[in-house]
Amino acid sequence: MCGIAGYWDKSRDSSAPIGSTILDMLRALDCRGPDSAGVALFHTPVDGDFVLQVKLGENGRPSDRVGEIIRSVAALAASNNVATTGAYLRMTVDGSVNPEELATRIEAVAGDVEVVSMGCSLEIVKQVGSPDRLEETFRVAETRGSHGIGHTRLSTESKVDLSHSQPFWAHGYPDLAIVHNGHITNYHRMRRLYEQSGVRFYTENDSEIIAVYVAEGLGKGLPLEEVLRAALDDLDGSFSCLVATADAMGFVKDSFAHKPLLFAESGDFVMVATEEIAIRAARAGQYDVREAQAREMRVWRN
Amino acid sequence: MAKLSCTGRSVREINAEMRNLLADGEDVAVTSPGARHNLGVALLKPGTVTFDGSVGYYCGGLSDGATIRVKGSAGWGLAESMLDGEVTAEGNAGNSAGAAMRGGTVVIHGDSGARTGVSMKGGLILVGGNCGYMSGFMGQKGAMIICGDTGEGFADSMYETICFVGGEIRELGNDTVVSEPSEEDIQFLAGVLDQHLPQRIRSGVPEPGKFKKVVSGRKLWNFDKAEWKVWEEAL
Repeated sequence: MCGIAGYWDKSRDSSAPIGSTILDMLRALDCRGPDSAGVALFHTPVDGDFVLQVKLGENGRPSDRVGEIIRSVAALAASNNVATTGAYLRMTVDGSVNPEELATRIEAVAGDVEVVSMGCSLEIVKQVGSPDRLEETFRVAETRGSHGIGHTRLSTESKVDLSHSQPFWAHGYPDLAIVHNGHITNYHRMRRLYEQSGVRFYTENDSEIIAVYVAEGLGKGLPLEEVLRAALDDLDGSFSCLVATADAMGFVKDSFAHKPLLFAESGDFVMVATEEIAIRAARAGQYDVREAQAREMRVWRN
Repeated sequence: MAKLSCTGRSVREINAEMRNLLADGEDVAVTSPGARHNLGVALLKPGTVTFDGSVGYYCGGLSDGATIRVKGSAGWGLAESMLDGEVTAEGNAGNSAGAAMRGGTVVIHGDSGARTGVSMKGGLILVGGNCGYMSGFMGQKGAMIICGDTGEGFADSMYETICFVGGEIRELGNDTVVSEPSEEDIQFLAGVLDQHLPQRIRSGVPEPGKFKKVVSGRKLWNFDKAEWKVWEEAL
C-alpha cells in the first residue's frame, strides 16, 4: 500500500491553497503509508530562477555542508535566498545554468548530499514520518500555487529514509515530479539498461525508475500523454502513478487495475487520489468521483 | 427514521449503533459518511440504511437482508460476499463490486470498476453505465446486467452466471458465447430496468431487445487432453 494524491487548480493563477489541500489529502491517506510523507508543490516561478531543495546528508555537520555546497556552485552561479529547514538546504540559483551540471557539482560535495528537487516552480519536501510531522517541519500548508502532488509511503521492498521517500524528482530534469503506488516488476532489468547508458540511481526504490523513464520521454520532446501511454507497455507490474510538470498533471493506471486511483473533476479543480476519502476530506460540495479504469491515462494542462 | 452521524465516531461504533437500530426495527439515515471504509458491513437484519454521501471500501459486504442506499459513490468491494438484500450506489463504484456475492441485488447507477461481479455465486448486479476490465470473471451463478460498455476480458472463464450488455463489449474473455436475448430474457431485463433504474438513467439505456446475452461456452469446465488448444489459448 501507499497513498498518492494530486490537486490541479483550474484558475491557473498560482494563488490556490495547494499546500493545505494536498496536506489534507495526505492526512486522510496516512493509514495507507505511515513510513514517510512528501509533497511536490508548483508555485509561481521567481524571475526564472531555479529553486533547489538539497538534502544536506546524514554524515556531515549541516553548517559545514551549507558552506561547501555554496562554494561548489560558486563557479556556475551565485546562491541566493539560502535557508536551512530540517534536513534540507533551500536556495535559488540563476535559471540559465545547466541543471545537470549544477546538481552534479552539489552532489560532488559528499555521497550523502542529494538535490531532492530543482525547478522554476517545483519544490519537493519529504521525510520519514506522518503528514502531520511534515507540516510541523516545513509548514507546507501555507504554500500557494497552481498544482501539486503528494505521497504517503508504506515501504515493502526498500529502506525507509528521506531519499527513498516520494515524490521523486527526475534528477537533472527541472520541474518534473512523480508519485507511485504499486510495484514495477521489470525494475531491475530496466535499471540495468539505464545504468549502462550512464544514468545514476539514488535509491533502491522501484518507483524512482518512473521518474527516470518519464524524464527520458519528455527529454526526447514527446508530450506527457504519449510518454504515459508508452509506459503502459514499457512498465510491468502494478502502478497507479501521478506525474506533474510545470504546466501539466497526469495519471496512468496499469493494465490490470491492480491499484486504486480515483479522480474528481469540476469546473474549478481536478483531484486525484488513491481513496475517495482523501478527496472528500479536502473539498466539500457536490461533485462526481470515479475510479480510473485499467489502462486509463489522463492529462490536464495549461 | 433514526439519524446516525459518522462525525467523531469510529467505524466500529457506527456499525454497532446501526445494527442496534436495525434490530429495534428502525430505518437509519447515516450522515457525513465521508467515504470511510467498512460502513454498513455485515448487516443481518432487514431495514433500510441510507448514506448521505460517498462510502469507502466494502460497504454492505457480508450483509444479509438489509436495504442500503448510497447517495454518492462507493469504493472497492461494494456488497462483497453479500448473502441477501439490496445495495444501491447512486454514483459510481470502484473495483470488484458484488465480488463473490451469493444473493440479493447490487445496483450501480454510474460506472463500475474492474472485476465487477468476479466469482459471483448468485444474485443480481445491475450497472447503469460502463463496467471495467475482467468483469464477470469466473462467475458461478446469478446475473449481471451492464447497460453501457464493458471493459476488456469480459465474462472470462465463467460457469453459470448470465450476463447482458446494452452497449459495446470491448473484448470478450475466454470461453464465452454471445447470443440474442430470448423473449423470456427480454421480459426479465425490462422488469429489472424498470424496477431499479430512475427514469433519467432508464431513458438512456437501450431497449431490452437490443441487449446482448453472454454465457459460458463450457469448454473450460472439464479438462480434456484432446482440447489442449483451447486451454493453451485460455491460459
